Parts: sequence; structure tokens; C-alpha cells
Amino acid sequence: MRKLPAPAPQPLKPLVFQVLLALVDGDRHGWSLVREVQQRGSFAQIMPGNFYRTLRGMLADGLIEEAPDREETGPDDERRRYFRLTAAGERAAVDEARRLEALVLESRAKKLLSRRG
Amino acid sequence: MRRVPWFYRVLLHAFPADARREVGHDMGAMFTRQLQEAHAHRFGAAKLWLRASVDAIVNGIGERFNRPRRVQGHGAGVKRWRWWMHAFVQDVRYALRVMARQPGVTLVAVVTLALGIGANTAIFSAVNAILLRPLPYDDPHRVMMVWEKRQAEGVNDNVVSPADFLDWARMNTTFESMAAMTSTAVDLTGNGEPVRLSTALVSPPFFDVLRIRPQLGRFFRSDEAIAGKPRVVVLSHQAWTSRFGSDPNIVGRSLTLNGTAVEVIGVLPASFEFPDDSLDLWAPLALEGTPQPPTRTSHQLTVFARLKPGVTLEQARADMERVGQTLQQQYPEANRNHSAWVIPLEDRLKTPVRSSLLMLLGAVAFVLLIACVNVANVLLAKAAGRRREMAVRSAVGAGRARLAGQMLTESLVLAIFGGAAGVAVAWWGIAAMKQLIPDSVPVVGLSHLRLEPRVLAFTAAVSVATGLLFGMLPAWQLAGQDVNASLKDGGRSPGGVRRRLRVALVVSEIALASLLLVAAGLTLRSFQAVLNQPAGFRIDKSLTVTVLLPGARYKTQAAFLNAFESLEERFASLPGVRLVGATSHLPLSTRDSRQGVTVEGRDPVPDSPTRAHPRMVTPNYFKAMGITVIAGRGFAPADGPESPRVAIVNETMAKRYWPNASPIGKRVKFNGNGEEWMEVVGVIADVKHWGLEAPVNPELYRPLRQAFSPLMTFVVNTEGDGAQLAAAAREQVRAVDPNLPLSRMQTVADVAAASVATRRAGMLLTAAFGVLALVLAAAGIHGVMSHLVALRTAEIGVRMTLGASPTRMMAHILQEGAVQATIGLAIGLTGGVLLMHAFRTILFGVEPADPFTLIAVAAGLFITALAACAIPARRAMRVDPVTALRAM
Repeated sequence: MRKLPAPAPQPLKPLVFQVLLALVDGDRHGWSLVREVQQRGSFAQIMPGNFYRTLRGMLADGLIEEAPDREETGPDDERRRYFRLTAAGERAAVDEARRLEALVLESRAKKLLSRRG
Repeated sequence: MRRVPWFYRVLLHAFPADARREVGHDMGAMFTRQLQEAHAHRFGAAKLWLRASVDAIVNGIGERFNRPRRVQGHGAGVKRWRWWMHAFVQDVRYALRVMARQPGVTLVAVVTLALGIGANTAIFSAVNAILLRPLPYDDPHRVMMVWEKRQAEGVNDNVVSPADFLDWARMNTTFESMAAMTSTAVDLTGNGEPVRLSTALVSPPFFDVLRIRPQLGRFFRSDEAIAGKPRVVVLSHQAWTSRFGSDPNIVGRSLTLNGTAVEVIGVLPASFEFPDDSLDLWAPLALEGTPQPPTRTSHQLTVFARLKPGVTLEQARADMERVGQTLQQQYPEANRNHSAWVIPLEDRLKTPVRSSLLMLLGAVAFVLLIACVNVANVLLAKAAGRRREMAVRSAVGAGRARLAGQMLTESLVLAIFGGAAGVAVAWWGIAAMKQLIPDSVPVVGLSHLRLEPRVLAFTAAVSVATGLLFGMLPAWQLAGQDVNASLKDGGRSPGGVRRRLRVALVVSEIALASLLLVAAGLTLRSFQAVLNQPAGFRIDKSLTVTVLLPGARYKTQAAFLNAFESLEERFASLPGVRLVGATSHLPLSTRDSRQGVTVEGRDPVPDSPTRAHPRMVTPNYFKAMGITVIAGRGFAPADGPESPRVAIVNETMAKRYWPNASPIGKRVKFNGNGEEWMEVVGVIADVKHWGLEAPVNPELYRPLRQAFSPLMTFVVNTEGDGAQLAAAAREQVRAVDPNLPLSRMQTVADVAAASVATRRAGMLLTAAFGVLALVLAAAGIHGVMSHLVALRTAEIGVRMTLGASPTRMMAHILQEGAVQATIGLAIGLTGGVLLMHAFRTILFGVEPADPFTLIAVAAGLFITALAACAIPARRAMRVDPVTALRAM
């Protein structure tokens, strides 16, 4: 049987893209990622199970990695793990941003954005 | 950092261990922070908890099944949970379709489950109302009862003397408050019809011990418990609403009780509950300032106390033991071998019903297990028929987990239907239980017997657990099957594993049913044994009328006697009446008293006080009640105030105090000043006073004309049904004294029935569950056997073609059934006997290993099992061998 061609890259899950975006500025620990994503306002509330399961998925897929030697204690004596963007993660983020940009441009071309206020 | 809530840490266990190690700590920290922030919003914490629980469980299970979360979305923004929900909804709809396709099978399964779940719900509602619900007092675990302990007599719940109570209250160091209580009845006049109100007399700290606040007014002050003070009274909520129309200005009003003016100072809240819910009035108990100093020899008080904060039960017991020892040394005469015993009020109230309730809960659990086995079997049969369907779905790409999940969903849907129908069954069952349990049973919480949220939560949990339990078997079966083989043979081959599984089902049905039937049989036998106890008196065709004459209007002994004697005459003149007698203490009425006596010529036995239970009777009482005089004579009208003092003893007293001689002609007297010697003129056969199963106490009867009692119960023995006389008897009471409150009237049969009502209720419930178990098990065995035989139709056909006679084939199948039944019975009967050993206290007159019960259960179930085998076997015999062979 002939192998099927590799599928075209699927869109990233919104939370994944948000995390990648947050890591573009530099390494961050889990809670500050949650903070930033939530401040951007696209998620009502991120739940711990979903969030860390997503992080684990991103680690496994090589989109992010744990930042070495950045294990330190916070002001409230809490262990913190820092995450950083990998090259693959950056590529995926750029791809996704391009995909979104293309969608936005097409929306513009169709004057979708000027229809309402 | 704040600690991660323990429940969240439990939730984290939904994740596999490696994920938990890696991110569990971070998740906990994140949740704790979110929780801190959530407190700012209304219901924020509750919403967060809800969302976080679902999040942890869904993602945890997801992590277990399909490894880390995929980073790419499912197409254009479809979330994974949506897909998951979609699959679930699909499964549910598929399950509903499957159920609708076989309405008969579905109906049988739902009804079976409804019976099992409904019975469990009903019994759990009783457990919930009576055992689980805390007593409705503030901090109820610190409310204690303190009883007099008499080690030598093996009694540790004796009522307390007033002098001892006062000393206990003063000398203890472990209670913050202690109160005594006793009860009486008073006549209320001047408020419509005269009525008798049952009244609790309590020392003022009583409501502090229970921490009750009045709905209106106030409770007693300590100076109101001194004899001679202006009299005050608190109304129960029930009396306030029913007798005084919830009058908001009741406080300060004056009532006439027993002919004396008494001021209402307060009303109890509606929420107040007390084991004896018939109490109408609460009045202060005057122990101090009485004309005579408080007695140490007359015992009548029930003592309640509240532990100081931080004090343990053991400390309180040690403290009261010390107090008891001190009093023994101070009063060696009266308090010899007496001490004090502390027991939590909850234990005191709940222990008597705990074992019965737990046994019933066990019984219904077994019924549900049998129901589960039945439904599991039905589903197995269905699953076997659907092996081909499953194989096809599997071949076109449905994952094994998806298929098993779908089977489980089907079971769950079935269980939820069963649970919903079970709620209806439970609703009906609770109504039936309320009918069965008499109002007179003093159990706090009986009024809370209903389908409340906690009970419904239990039902939901049981339904889901049931669904998982009986759904697991078919799902597991499915997981183990070979797709190729199933596709090839079209899902017909019986397969060795499945056959063994079914044999195990039959064996477990028989074991469960026999275990339950042993319990039901023993309960039934106990009830029978109780009923077979001779009561010592005639039960049918008698009406009892209880009359209490108030001391405020009847000043002399002669006045009492005149009233009672004219009542007796008037009752006797009613049409259809054969005989009328009266007693101060009607058997089985829970009214009793006890006094120390001196038996002439008998040395007191150390540690075993000589006591008798006095009863005042009229001359005709023994005849009217059908009590046998076994030696000497009964009382005669001639035994009057002026003639020599006489007494009659019961057989127990005769044997105990005159062990080797006839008591006739011997003398006995009550201890105390001014008591006279009485000559024993007769012995009567024992009468059961405290219940048919209770031991008989020594009783000493005196003629009413030589003694005194303000309360007498007339026994009106009639030719027809005693109950019809009630109206006429009431007229006669009114003719003698129009101010006398309506009297209590009951037939003797009612009194006797009430005394066994609790046991009867337990027996009927257990028997009902036993029958239910038997029917379910029979249906289940028949179902399994039909299927097993059907699977072997081909084999039977081959054997018969090769010359096996139908009789031999039949014998072969029955033999297999007999072996399975025997194994099941062996397990079940052993289990039943062991189980009932643990519940020995609720048996009466029968051993857990009662041969009659065991043989009856074994024979009954054995025959049922064989019959359940024989029906499908006969069907198989009639099959044409050629048809059978073609089926191969």
C-alpha cells in the first residue's frame, strides 16, 4: 500500500500558541505564563490540569524545553521550573502567526473587518 | 505558600504516577493560588472547585489513555472535550437504540435494578435519618447521659435518686452542666375540654445541657426549681399550636393545671426534638426545699449532662466513678455497690436500632448484588449475540477502549434508568416503612425518614456503581475476544471461559440468595418464638380504659376508691360486658415501679436486694384478664380496708424468695416507715410485663381497697369486639366525673401488638427482602441456565443422535445444576450462619445455626435451582436432533 502524503500542518491549539507567544520574550515559569496568557484575555480561566497537560505535550513534541540552571526559589519559597522556546517551537509559532496573518489578510480583502464598527 | 487542599491532592491521582511526579506539585501550587483569588468572588471558590475537579479528572484520565496532550487542534477549533462529549452522546444514543430494540430485555433489567436500588434507597433513608443524622442539639457529641451503675446486678442504666443526682451535680469536675428529668401527667382545665397533658419535670440546667433556645419567652431560672415557689411552665411547640392556637401572647398567661394556677413562661421551638415526642409541657423539677430531704433510696431520675470542652468520655467516666466511690463511703447503707456510668446520648438512642438497621442494609445490599448478577447475565447474553457486530465495528477501526466504553455506557444508561425507577420504588417503600414502624418507638429521627438530597446522592452513587459493576463483565469479555474467530463463526461458539463465568454466576446467585434467606428465616423464627411466648393473660375481646384521678380534687383515699369502684360498676353494666377488673400497672404498657421488700424469715442476700414490683388490683382483675391463680386464692371483695392485709405474688417471686416452700401463709412487707406486714394468700402464673421476650420480675399484687393508686386501668372483657365499647365507656367516665380528661382506650390486642411492633417491622422487612432475593435469584438462575443449555443445543443434538436417551440427557443437565446449587448453598449457608452470629442480639429463642431454618432454606433453594434448570432442559430435549446439528 502506498503511503499517504504527510498531512499539511494543522493549526495549533490556541493555548499552545499563546504559550509560545509568551515565551518569545524569554524564559518564564508556569505561573507567570498563566498570568500573561490570561492578561491577554483570550481565556476565561486556565485550569491546572489542562495547562500542565498542554505543557507536557509541548515538551514531548519539542516545542519548548526546560531552561537549565534556572531553578531558583521565589519569594514565597516555592520551587519554580522555567521554560524556554526551542527552535522547533519558534518555527511552529511563526507558522501559526503566518497562518493567522493570512486569514486576517483575507478577511481584510473581503472587507469583513470594515463591516462592523 | 498555603497548603494544597487535601481533596485536590486526591484529585491529582487521576493522573498517572509519572505525570504526577513531574507536574503534580506545580498544579497544586497553581490551584492554591487560583483558590486564593477565587475567594474574592461570590461562589468563586465553589465554581473553581467544580471546574478544577472536572479538569483534573478529565485531563488525568486523558493523560492515562492517550499520553501527553496533542498540541495541534482538531481541525478548525473543535476542542477535544467536545469530541469526547460527542462520542459519549453518540454512545448514549446508541445505547438507547439498543435498549429500545429489545424492550422486553430492557424492561426486565430496569425493573430488576429498580427493585434492588429502590430497596437500598429506602433502607438507606432510614439509616440516614436515624444513624447518620446528628442529634439536633448544638455540639451533640458532648451531650451525655449519666446513669446509676450497679455492678453486682449487672445493671449500668438504672435511674438515679434525687439525693445522688444533687451530689453528682455538685461534686463532678468534668461536666459544664447536669440536669435531671422525670415525667408525669397533669390535667389542664379551663381551656375547652379538660385534657391530660404529659409533662416533663426537669431541673433548670436541662435546656442548657441540650443548648436549646426558646421560641418565645424564656426557660427556667434556678430559683424556680425550689418547692413552694410560684409555678411556671414551658409549652412544647406542638401543644402551643394545637391547644393554644399558636397564641403569640401566650407568655404570661395563666393555666389551670391539676387545679392550680401556673404561668406560661416560654414556648419550645418547632425544631426541638426529644426521644419522647409526646411531651406537651415542661415544668421545673423541685428537688430542693421539699418538706422531706431528697431521698437516696427512691430512684426515678434520668440524668443528662454536657461535657466541658476538651474533656473526653474516659475522663468523665473516671470522674463520675470517683464521685460514685465517695458517695458509697459516705452512704454505705443506701449506696452500697452503686456508682455512676456515663454514656453519650447518641449511643444510648442509636445503639438499640443500630444492629437491626445494619442488618437490613446488609440484606438489601445482597438483594442488589443478586440484581446485578441477573442484569450482568442478561448483558452477557446480549453481548454474546452482538459479538459479530462488535467484531465488525472493531474491524473497521473502532478501538477496543471505544468498544468497551460503549458497553459500559450502555450499562450506565440502564443503571440510571433503574435508579430513576428505583427512586419511585423507594418512595413507596418509605411510605410502607412509616406504616410499619409504630409511633410509639422512641427513636429520634424517625420523622426525618424521607428522600432528602443525601439519600438521592446515595441512590445516584449506587446506580453508577451498579452500572459499572454489572457492565464490567460484558466489557471485559469483549476485550478478551478474538476478532477473527468471531467474524468467522458468527458469534456462536460458547467458549470455555464464558461457560465458567456463567457457572460462577449461578453459584453466586445461589450463595447470595441462601445467605439472605438464612437471615430472613432466622428473623421469622425469632418473631415466631416471641409470639409463642405465653403472655400469661387473655389478649382478645378486651378493652382497656385508663383513668387518672387528680389529687387536687380527690383529697382522700376513700374518694379515689369510690370513684374507681363506681366506674367499675358502670363499665360492668354496659351491654355485652362479661367481666371488669382494674390494675394500676397494665402488662405491656411500659408503666412499672419497683420497691424494696422484706420477706419474713429470709436473710437478705448481700449484693442482691430483695425487691418486688407492686401492683394494685380490684378483685375481678385476674378473672377479667384471664390470669391463672395457681395456688391459694385470688382477692375477694372482703379484702377491705379494715380486714387483715393480704397480698398475691407471681410465680417468679414465689420461686425466688420462697425457693423450697409454698409462700401461702407467709408474710412480706414493703420497706419503709409505716408499712404493714401482708399475708400471701395466693400465687398467680407469670404475666409478661415488659414484652413477650423480656424476663419476668417478681410482682406483688395488693387489693386496691388496702392500698392506693391514683391511676387505674380498667380491663373490660366483652363478648364481642372490645373496640365497639369505647364510646359507651367514655360516656360512663363522663357520668362519674365530667371534668376528667378523655381517657386512653386501647384493646388488649392493640397493646400486645404495639409491644411487638418493632420486631414485627424488622421481621416483615427482612422477610420481604428474602422473598425478593428468592424471586430474583430464581429468575437469574433460570436465565443463566436457559442460555447455557441453549449454547449446548448442538452438543445435545449430537449426543441424542448417537443414542443418548432424553432421560439421560436430562439427568446430565440436572446433575450439573445440582452440583452448582450445592456449591452455592455451602457458601451461602456458612456465610449466613456466620453473619447472623454477628447479629445475635436481634435473634430470640433461636440459634444462628438453627437446623430447621438451614434445612428449609437449602431445600427450598435446591428445588428452585433444579426447577430453573429443568425448564430449559426440557425445551432442549424436544429439539429435533437434525435442527440442532444444523445449528453447529
